[in-house]
This record gives sequence, C-alpha cells and structure tokens, in this order.
Amino acid sequence: MPLARWYQSRLFRSYLFQFPIVWLLVKAANAYMAGYVREPPLGFRPATETVACVIELFILWAFIRRNNEDILLGNLGLSWKETLLPLVPLHFALSALAALV
Amino acid sequence: MTEPLIAADSIDFSVKEKVILRSVYVDAVPGTITALVGRSGAGKSTLFWIMVGLKRAQSGQVCWAGMRLERPRLHALARLGLAFGPDRPFLSPGLSTADHLRMIDGNAGGLGVDEWIDRPTGTLSGGEQRLSEIAVLLGCRPRVLVLDEPFRGLAPAVRDRIADVLRQAAAAGVAVLYADHDVTQVHNTADRLFSMENGMTRRVEGFKERPLHEWYHAWPQ
Repeated sequence: MPLARWYQSRLFRSYLFQFPIVWLLVKAANAYMAGYVREPPLGFRPATETVACVIELFILWAFIRRNNEDILLGNLGLSWKETLLPLVPLHFALSALAALV
Repeated sequence: MTEPLIAADSIDFSVKEKVILRSVYVDAVPGTITALVGRSGAGKSTLFWIMVGLKRAQSGQVCWAGMRLERPRLHALARLGLAFGPDRPFLSPGLSTADHLRMIDGNAGGLGVDEWIDRPTGTLSGGEQRLSEIAVLLGCRPRVLVLDEPFRGLAPAVRDRIADVLRQAAAAGVAVLYADHDVTQVHNTADRLFSMENGMTRRVEGFKERPLHEWYHAWPQ
C-alpha cells in the first residue's frame, strides 16, 4: 500500500485523533510527577518527552492490537514503524505547544 | 503439479513443556484450495500464525517460492502477495467495508457485500463480517490467501457463498490455504488436504474419492 494513501486513510486519521487523547493522559501524569519534584509541570524536557512518546506509542499499539488491527495493517503491508512513527512529530509539537502555554 | 508458493517445513513449537507442533509441514499451491483439517486445539491456528510471521517457531522454516524466509513478518509477506484472515474479526470496527476497500483501491468484486458496504464493520453480523473480511483480503490481490476457520459459526448459505468465493480465487490462480475442523466442508471445498493430529500433519491423498470416515479416522491416535 502506498504510504501517501495510508496517510489519507480514515484509519490513519482515527489514530491521529486518538493519539492526542493518549498524549493528554501521559502529559497529565508527567505534569503531576514534575510538580512533585518542583519542576515546571508543562516544561519541555527532551529526554522526558522521548520516554513519554515511547509510552504513548506503546499504549496506542496496545489498543490497535486489542482490535486485531495489527493484522489488518500487516495485510496492508504496513509495519508498526510505518503506522506509528508519523505520530512522533505530533507528540513533540503538542508538548512544545503545551510548554509555551 | 505447480510448486508450492508458500510452505512451512519442519516447524516445532512448544509452550513451556507442552509440545504444540512437532516437525509440521504444510504448503499452498497456486490454483488450488488446500485445507488443513484437525480438531479444535490441534494447533492449526498456531501453525498459521507461525507461517505468516505473527508467532515465532522454536525451529523450522517458512519458504516463499522455494526461498527460505529468515524472519517472516506479515507486512513483508503481504508485500510479496500474501493475505491472512485470522479466526477473529480484524477489520477496524469503526470503519465501513468501503473505507477498508478504499485503502487498498479494491472493489467488492461481486462478493455480495454491497448491502452493508457503508456500515461500520463493528455493527455487522458474523457472516457479513466474514464476507467483508474476505472481500478486503481479496481486494489486496493476493497470490496466497491463508484463512483460519473461515466457515466457523456461519449459516449454510454463507458457507456456500464463501466456498464459491474460494473456488473463484483458486480458479484465478490464487493459492488458497485454510484451516477447518468440519470434515464435510473440507470434503466439499478443498482440492488438497493436510490432516493434523497430536501436533503433526500428514498429506491425505485421494480424499475426494474415499468416504469421510475412511481417511479422517485413519490417523493414529
């Protein structure tokens, strides 16, 4: 399946919609922890953001697997990397925006 | 006889102390329907999951067109021309059959899914869902179609429809391989047969000409 068509598909758009919800949950937990150690709750810390991003991708992949959509994606010729990695910039963009607030 | 397009050879798989598969062989040949028949829990699904790269065997190999695949993965096999339908729903429940077909630029191809093509697949009945899944898999234009229990729990009319679709796919040159525990269905649908018992397979020759009880219960217990 051409990647351009994948990125325009409703399935990918549904992941784009679900990902910010996961980001919000992880961000809330991260902000709580940051407050606990007297750091700015919404601050942008690259190492923390990378770890948070990995956790978010794991959570989203768990939901994908729960619906057996990993098999659908496999049949479309898409690996988990092609499915999830485009969401990485979204994580950093959302976190950078939150840090500016 | 054409060479197998996909073959799983000498597959061993066990979980802790329990041996699930021992030196198992199964293959699929273009233009034919191959069935893997065995009782529930015999290891058919495990073998298919290993074959398509969703599980890893302790030993053995999966070959594509005679070439050994080092580490089979479903997405890589799909690019070679394999489509896999597991024994559970795998279409995205919030998306319609049409949405799925759009992703692969496929069409329903006379499978009779037009009636529910715009409904989310999560709202479809078991039979409708199975037909939609097969429509999507065939929309991928596979060279090998691997289906795990495609007839399970379906009404006779839907079973006949799926059997027709598999025959059409085979007639178009697709290598169809499917698992089933219903020997009567296998007798009516398959051209080639592997029987699975106690974690082992054997090829059953001439099963079409022999009565069911003769070939199915001949397997040593």
